[in-house]
Amino acid sequence: MRAIDHYAWTNRWRDRHPAEKLLPAGGLLVLTLLLPPLTTGPLVLVGTALATVGGAGVPLRAFLAMLAAPAAFLLAGAPFLAMSISFADGFDLHFPAEGARLALSTTVRALAAVSCLTFLTLTTPLVDWVPLLRRAGIPASVIELILLMYRLIFVFAERALTGRRAQAARLGYARFDRGVRSAGLLAGNLFQRALAQARRLEIGLAARGYTGELRVLRPEQPLSWPRLAAGAALVGLIGLLGGLLARGWP
Amino acid sequence: MTGSLLAARGLEYTYSGGIVALRDLDLSVGRGRKLAILGPNGSGKTTLLLHLNGTLRPTRGEILIDGRPARYDRRAINHWRRRVGLVLQEPDDQLFAATVEQDVSFGPLNLGISESATRERVREALEALRISHLAGRATHTLSFGQKKRVAIAGVLAMRPELLVLDEPTAGLDPHGVTHLLGALQQLHEAGTTLVFSTHDVELAYAWADEVALFHDGAVLVQGETTAVLGDGEALRRARLRPPLLLEVAQALPEKDGDGAPGVPPRSREALLTWLRNRFCQSGAGSVNRCDEPAPGHCARRAAD
Repeated sequence: MRAIDHYAWTNRWRDRHPAEKLLPAGGLLVLTLLLPPLTTGPLVLVGTALATVGGAGVPLRAFLAMLAAPAAFLLAGAPFLAMSISFADGFDLHFPAEGARLALSTTVRALAAVSCLTFLTLTTPLVDWVPLLRRAGIPASVIELILLMYRLIFVFAERALTGRRAQAARLGYARFDRGVRSAGLLAGNLFQRALAQARRLEIGLAARGYTGELRVLRPEQPLSWPRLAAGAALVGLIGLLGGLLARGWP
Repeated sequence: MTGSLLAARGLEYTYSGGIVALRDLDLSVGRGRKLAILGPNGSGKTTLLLHLNGTLRPTRGEILIDGRPARYDRRAINHWRRRVGLVLQEPDDQLFAATVEQDVSFGPLNLGISESATRERVREALEALRISHLAGRATHTLSFGQKKRVAIAGVLAMRPELLVLDEPTAGLDPHGVTHLLGALQQLHEAGTTLVFSTHDVELAYAWADEVALFHDGAVLVQGETTAVLGDGEALRRARLRPPLLLEVAQALPEKDGDGAPGVPPRSREALLTWLRNRFCQSGAGSVNRCDEPAPGHCARRAAD
């Protein structure tokens, strides 16, 4: 998660308007769902990889690492899609040809769809979505909650890590039963500290005139029409190629 | 005291558990001053600071703003906090937004000023603390010292008359301290009154105009820095030691000749100059001792 957050904040397209990234990602996602996956899927994968690595400058390794987890799930699930079980006379398990095709196309389609989201996640930090969420009519209190959680996750992750290290230094995890006990103590401690932190944060915010609304400046990210058009062109190109390939072109 | 921006009279505060944090405390913050609230850890300094912006309400006694008793209704409190900015010791208790720029914009937007004016104030506050380069950074990727400066900028952007800082140098390395004090000094010169709590006698001695010696929930004595920190008896009662610079100056023999004690040095550099001046004029043997650190300087003094 740290790595995702790091690239989201430091990639070359960090300061671009989120819509410029949402348009190609959303467009490619729709293509993936509509067009035959075996031809379009690989094209979409190449497209998102090019945008993430070539465009935003995120290392290919990070992109692949993020795809690896869902890919592992998909591969594990594929055999079950491919096989066919019948209980007509006793128990009969076999792998029909169309089952293999179904498993392959589902896996490719899902992977391509995930790559669209990977591109978005690796190039856009959470805060950038806030203006869009607001426009979409999400209540302000929900958005504030999301932002606060996003900030505090890092505060508590840090504390949990140092707390665990301190316990380990006193052999708190030397044996399994000790480890269970230590983890429990740490969790209880973090909970208390979270409550105390909340109280202090309230004081800190009140000192700055908090009256129930966490209003902050919107990031200044002017929308660029040429870049938006380039995103649309990418979607159009991949859609055209995918469609033609599916019909047996050339 | 007349002319004080903020004052506490007979302040008492008891926490709900029955722990008495402040007892019969008097304090006066003069306009345009740099006041250090000096006391050991756990003596109630933070509790006092939380009274200075109306976060806590005294069990007994009162806070005076411009000589008038403070009121605690919503409007009065808002007005109060507009004038008195409070920076907590732990920056993570104060920073809540995802980026530096957004966090600093929180206070000004609460004042009800426009977005463009807020942007201007954010820029100005970041510049004052010399952290303009951090504007677009994610809050959670900052170092402790950077977070501390962002926390101060967030309060500064509200342009308070009085800036109250809880242990501003705690946890900073020497470079961070120098950097922060430089920025605060500039604010002070631009007219902001400063109050800060610390347990660091050297810091108070080097930097405050005025010191309030704090012990066990009460101010033992408040006055000019050199007077308060020269009072060994009061310091002992507050479980503090006199500043090293002052001790060195006091331990040296009276200067023969004109014999004027002079103003004791308030900084490391001033002490060095002061020592050189003293020893270089007092005889040949001493001149030799000075030869190593600053031969040119000593030779010149000896020739005079």
